Amino acid sequence: MMMEEIKTTIIDRIKLHFSDAVEKEFSYNRLDFSVKKETVPSILFYLKEEMGFKHLSHISCVDWLEEGEFEMIFILWSPEEKIKVFIHTRVDRSNPVMDNIDMIWRQANTYEREMKEMYGIQFTGLEAPEEFLLEDWNGPPPMRRDFDTEAYAAKTYWERPGREDALDVRETVEKRTGEVLPEFAKKYKR
Amino acid sequence: MGEILQYTWGAIVSFVLAFFVGITYMGLSRIVTARVQNRIGPPWYQNFFDVFKLFSKDTSIHHGIMHHMGPAFMMVTAVMSLLIIPIFNGGSFFTNLNFHGDLIFLIYIMVFGPLGMALGAGQTGNPNSAIGVTRGLSQIVGFEIPWVMALVALMIQYKTTSIVDLMNIQAETGKWLMFTSPFAFIAAVLAMLGMFRYAPFDIVGAPQELASGPMSENGGKYLFVMMSSGAVFAFAKLTLYVDIFMGGANNLIILVVKTFILYMIPVLYGIVSPRYRTEQSVRFFWGWPTLFGLLAILQAAFL
Amino acid sequence: MINDKNSQKIVDIIRNYARKHSLWILAYGTGCGAIELPPTMTSRYDAERLGVRGAATPRQADLLLITGYLTTKSLKRVIRVYEQMQDPKYVIGFGSCTINGGMYWDSYNTIKALDRYLPVDVYINGCMPRPEAVLSGFAKLQELIQDGKANGAKEYKENLKWYRDNQKKVITNWKMPEYNW
Repeated sequence: MMMEEIKTTIIDRIKLHFSDAVEKEFSYNRLDFSVKKETVPSILFYLKEEMGFKHLSHISCVDWLEEGEFEMIFILWSPEEKIKVFIHTRVDRSNPVMDNIDMIWRQANTYEREMKEMYGIQFTGLEAPEEFLLEDWNGPPPMRRDFDTEAYAAKTYWERPGREDALDVRETVEKRTGEVLPEFAKKYKR
Repeated sequence: MGEILQYTWGAIVSFVLAFFVGITYMGLSRIVTARVQNRIGPPWYQNFFDVFKLFSKDTSIHHGIMHHMGPAFMMVTAVMSLLIIPIFNGGSFFTNLNFHGDLIFLIYIMVFGPLGMALGAGQTGNPNSAIGVTRGLSQIVGFEIPWVMALVALMIQYKTTSIVDLMNIQAETGKWLMFTSPFAFIAAVLAMLGMFRYAPFDIVGAPQELASGPMSENGGKYLFVMMSSGAVFAFAKLTLYVDIFMGGANNLIILVVKTFILYMIPVLYGIVSPRYRTEQSVRFFWGWPTLFGLLAILQAAFL
Repeated sequence: MINDKNSQKIVDIIRNYARKHSLWILAYGTGCGAIELPPTMTSRYDAERLGVRGAATPRQADLLLITGYLTTKSLKRVIRVYEQMQDPKYVIGFGSCTINGGMYWDSYNTIKALDRYLPVDVYINGCMPRPEAVLSGFAKLQELIQDGKANGAKEYKENLKWYRDNQKKVITNWKMPEYNW
């Protein structure tokens, strides 16, 4: 079967069962669906059991600070059809609660612990020890965009004096040698 | 009185000799390893620096009495087997304390040190030590069988259990036992590979997986005792092989040449080999070496 | 006669000479620094010429080589490893991460100066230092040992309170055994 046919079959079957799924096509072997938060466990279960997406590649999170939402992304891979499916969903940022899916894939537990620690997303019924990557952490979740890591580092860790002017390499080079930076380089400044 | 003094001097001189020769051999094996790996390697006296440095380190570790005794057991074993094994042919000075039946005594005493070390390592409570001890004892079960078979074959063939008698037989007939009973020699040499614990049989102290196994809680002076006892024990074992298979030695130079050639067998075999797992190691020793041991016994009994 | 000052001096010279030529390193390989050690030890640069050799456990090691950034989580382990080592012991800070934070200067869980928490004898700068730089660091440490100046461990014992305060400031939940040498 051609990849286009596979894609249309997947879209048709998903849309038939999940009316809130909005599809979006990407490169050759990738399909994206945006769904509501409540649909996520059932669509993941359906994809795994009925359509052969046996492998959970990754669970990721994006902080949309301006819109007040977290976007969670589940990446699945089908070894038979050689196609990956991304499931997007939005979670309210002020009350980030998500359904736990580690009964579908055991390895989701690890990703969820990381999300919980780094973004502060609560998974209902997640059974895991308290600490994962951060030990003795008492600040806000560090991967949120409103967490100022520079200020936190300056407050917590002692800094050796002498590199205040060398925080940005391009600026320092400009200042010390008088070399003028081209326009395109300035775009990437801190 | 004079006899006692002679024995004492013989013991002290042979211990010092064994220490220096053993440590030098360890340094030389490091050079050989380095040259095979296309490196320059440390100087031959590097291990004297190491030993002296370990001796001069402070040692503030306490895990209990057996832990202190473990390295001492190793040293006692090394010295005892050195004192039983005659160093040179003939002559009364370096025959040390041998007696009739010392070959049987040696079979027992040579596992005494590892057992004491096992008790000491067990008391440290370090999981790496416990795994290392388990592996070491399994390996001893492996190589003891061909080793004992080879010795039993010699005992049957020449109807003696004394090392000096074996040496005298070789001196009288002019033929080395490695030619008159070749199967026993092959079995014993293959067992020696396990005795010296170079790769592929370095499963006991494998630094990459076990963090040096039973020694992992021993630093400083403990390690000094273990290193020097290892050197003495290595020299004692090599001298035993030279005595019973290669006609002994009349002077120091011949002894050093013969022991060094024997020592290079496990070293060179080890440089080009990866590490076995425990069951592979035991299977190796229960394969060809045991077969050669059986052949040696058959040859001794029926030829 | 044995215990007078001059003979102690002679003993010290001999001891330092042996220590200098027999450095057993325990490499704490965080970050990218550990990848510089295989070339240093193998045939191209061959650090074994200088008597440098790997040790398997902290009990046997003389030299703690900290190769790269230390997070607060790994700092805890490093302090325990350092305190389990036997005297005389030395520390080499390896790479700019241990000197001033390097590229992790604004990280939320990386310490920026190692010598606030452990006594560092020699720093090797660079990001990453090449094996030549590592060898020169070893040579510098050997010089210090010969002159009897590499006494970071002594400093650590004398200023234990200052080091402990700094360590406890970063490691808030301090659940470590208190050693008293």
